[in-house]
Amino acid sequence: MKRRNFIKRTSLASGGLFFVPQFLKAFENGLPERTNYKKLVIIQLKGGNDGLNTIVPFRNDIYYQNRQRIGIQKSELLNLNSELGFHKSLLPLKRLFDNGYVSIINNVGYPNPNRSHFRSTDIWQTASDSNQYLQSGWVGRFLDETNAKPYGAIEVDESLSLMLKGNNQNGLAITNPKLFHRILNQPFFDNVFNKYSNDSHLSEHNLGYLYNTMIDAKSSAAYIYEKTKTSSSTIEYPKNAFGKQLKTISEFISSGIDTQIYYAGLTGFDTHANQTNRQSRLLKVYAESIEVFVKDLEKNNQFKDTIILTFSEFGRRVKQNGSNGTDHGTANNVFVIGKDLKKNGIYNSLPNLNDLDDNGDLKFSIDFREVYATLLDKWLGIENDKILNKKFSHLGFI
Amino acid sequence: MKNKHILHLYNRIGFGILPKEVEKLHSQTRSEIVDTLFQSAKTITPLYIETSFLNSTSTKKIKNKSKRKELMKLNRKKVRELNLIWMGRLMNSKEILREKMTLFWANHFVCEDKNVLYALHYNNTLRNHALGNFGDFVKAISKEAAMLKYLNNKQNKKNSPNENFARELLELFTLGQGNYSEKDIRESARAFTGYNHRFDGDFILKRKQHDNGKKEFLDRVGNFDGNDIIDIILQQKQCARFICHKIYAYFVNDKINSSRIEEMTSIFYKDYNIEKLMKHVLKSDWFYDEENIGVKIKSPIELLATIHKTVPYTFQKSKQQILIQKLLGQVLLYPPNVAGWKTGKGWIDSNTMVTRLRLASVLLNNAEISYSEKDDFKAIVNSVTNEKRRKKAFIKTETNWHIFNKNYESISNEELFESLIICPITSGTKEIINQYKDLPKKDFCIQLMSLPEYQLC
Repeated sequence: MKRRNFIKRTSLASGGLFFVPQFLKAFENGLPERTNYKKLVIIQLKGGNDGLNTIVPFRNDIYYQNRQRIGIQKSELLNLNSELGFHKSLLPLKRLFDNGYVSIINNVGYPNPNRSHFRSTDIWQTASDSNQYLQSGWVGRFLDETNAKPYGAIEVDESLSLMLKGNNQNGLAITNPKLFHRILNQPFFDNVFNKYSNDSHLSEHNLGYLYNTMIDAKSSAAYIYEKTKTSSSTIEYPKNAFGKQLKTISEFISSGIDTQIYYAGLTGFDTHANQTNRQSRLLKVYAESIEVFVKDLEKNNQFKDTIILTFSEFGRRVKQNGSNGTDHGTANNVFVIGKDLKKNGIYNSLPNLNDLDDNGDLKFSIDFREVYATLLDKWLGIENDKILNKKFSHLGFI
Repeated sequence: MKNKHILHLYNRIGFGILPKEVEKLHSQTRSEIVDTLFQSAKTITPLYIETSFLNSTSTKKIKNKSKRKELMKLNRKKVRELNLIWMGRLMNSKEILREKMTLFWANHFVCEDKNVLYALHYNNTLRNHALGNFGDFVKAISKEAAMLKYLNNKQNKKNSPNENFARELLELFTLGQGNYSEKDIRESARAFTGYNHRFDGDFILKRKQHDNGKKEFLDRVGNFDGNDIIDIILQQKQCARFICHKIYAYFVNDKINSSRIEEMTSIFYKDYNIEKLMKHVLKSDWFYDEENIGVKIKSPIELLATIHKTVPYTFQKSKQQILIQKLLGQVLLYPPNVAGWKTGKGWIDSNTMVTRLRLASVLLNNAEISYSEKDDFKAIVNSVTNEKRRKKAFIKTETNWHIFNKNYESISNEELFESLIICPITSGTKEIINQYKDLPKKDFCIQLMSLPEYQLC
């Protein structure tokens, strides 16, 4: 079914909107003719999650030698196969894993790794080489390339990350559609924007750009608000900030708004000291919320069209430090969650702990941009070199 | 000089100008006004921050872990304090041209340091050289402790060269992409080997780590050191062109006029004198062309400082000053990366635009604003009720309407409009202004500052 028919039908069928408001009409006419409505939800575990204590190689002596105090014993793990086990906080994720919904890609990184949170986050967000400084993010460039509206990509936060900033189009940061709409609906703004005539001579100037950005923001806010105000999730999410973010995303998705990419994050993974308890708590928050999210998507028949990608800006050093924590490292595991994965389970082998770099860090085997490239080509339906600036090869998880 | 041109000049070399100052300058010629600007920029007043907490420390002491942690914490606090001191300077300086140039260079020679002593020294080096000789400037920058750390030049050693600084020197600081080869990067990196600094920040060359061999750089061969490399770069006209391009985009118009760039380049290339170049720009007729007036999008810092110029305000909690900078997308001393902030349209997305239009109400009228601390990698958030991550806040400021009233008492609302908004306005905006023109001056001022037009200078 064509998207625009879909909108018309559902808005009538739901009985909520008997007439299509003017601004929605404008949007329908302006809808780009893209037939791909797959969704991608990107989650960042901020601070650098310790991948080695998340998926543990319990047969590996080197692992235990390096982690005498924080290493996790086999009996404490949720075993995945004869060598690997999940951290016990990941029980909800293990259930998804057992259903075949999870693909674990190990040892993902990039050449000449940078160990600064900010820089490495930038690299992941812009999909740049480690010595290259890009001022646009890969999701932003996706918006550029697909001629999307600002709500083509939504970050559930108060301010917009580099990842969603393109060269011509930016995504939208939004936590509360009602509030965002209300702010933009103040009488003063209405007054200003209603009187703004879209003079063609203005639109090429900076002033025109400011007006158009505002008008875009205003109509996006109105669009999102109108579409989402009736959809509220009935499933109970864990009562924490991350659960709330996922709930918002689920509501956005089931409302049928035309957003392809969502971005959210869970912070606190910078575990330099007393890692064990802290990481347990965080992974629990992550896994519990994700499981509910997937259930919610399934209930709304959206799971088949959604993929959840979880990454962290880097992993941590193999050897634990003196304060029962770990320092910044390099390669890490990435989780892909989806209904019809081509290859679920453990996608590739764990890093070789015998062969570390000069810092005692892992040597990556899969470039993170190959993960992006796979999602771009096979899920979002756009040639990856248009977004990543050069061609990367595919992985086989979808 | 025409009032509008005085306004334009002060928008670009400062953060606006009060009506009574315009009145004073009105009878002077362009040349006189510009010369006076340069005259008052002759003095250099370095920023100062108390750093005695570092006096009693030494390299040995920071080997102690808890001592080191404590120092890092103090340093972080001090760098934030330095942000406020710098902001205060931008809002209240007499050497306004020098300060605006310093702000410009800070987004050219982009650098960040967590050590307050190095960050302060770096900032003052930008200020010292802001209107001086560009060659001396680059050489000084290459020897700054903060830069040696930021681009890993102190890890650049004879037997294991690190090319990070050499690459950015060519790409971002002097020539621009595509005007050198990968080999030029490798060879110039060798010339900077052994660069290092002492604990107090002073530059030293570690001779044993310096590569004394022959290098081949931009078609020249010799036993070059870092300064030689910079001299060879300066001989390329492209270097002058690259800098003029950036100055034009920042001070004149982000739509580039290449014949103006060539005109500027031929002047700058002669002796790389920044003051001469700037004088030429500010005295030229084309600087005052209609097409160059009111077309630039104010950076967040410019926006904050221009509001302050009209209605002085102070934050009750100094932390909130930084919070506002963050929401607008530019925190002084914390650039996003070595490429700096993407300026012009790059400042604008839906969220920053909403914040910008609400800024006058937030700062001057106690409107509410919500925010998150997304980059706090250590913060743990487990519950919604005790939510540390996402907050709402009333920005508490003290607003000095008294000074505003004094400065603007003799002018009408129409004149207030003309002194705050310089770009051509849309017919719709004209209607709105008509509608509001009988409001009390204070309210009218806040309305004006909430217009998209106020975002331009």
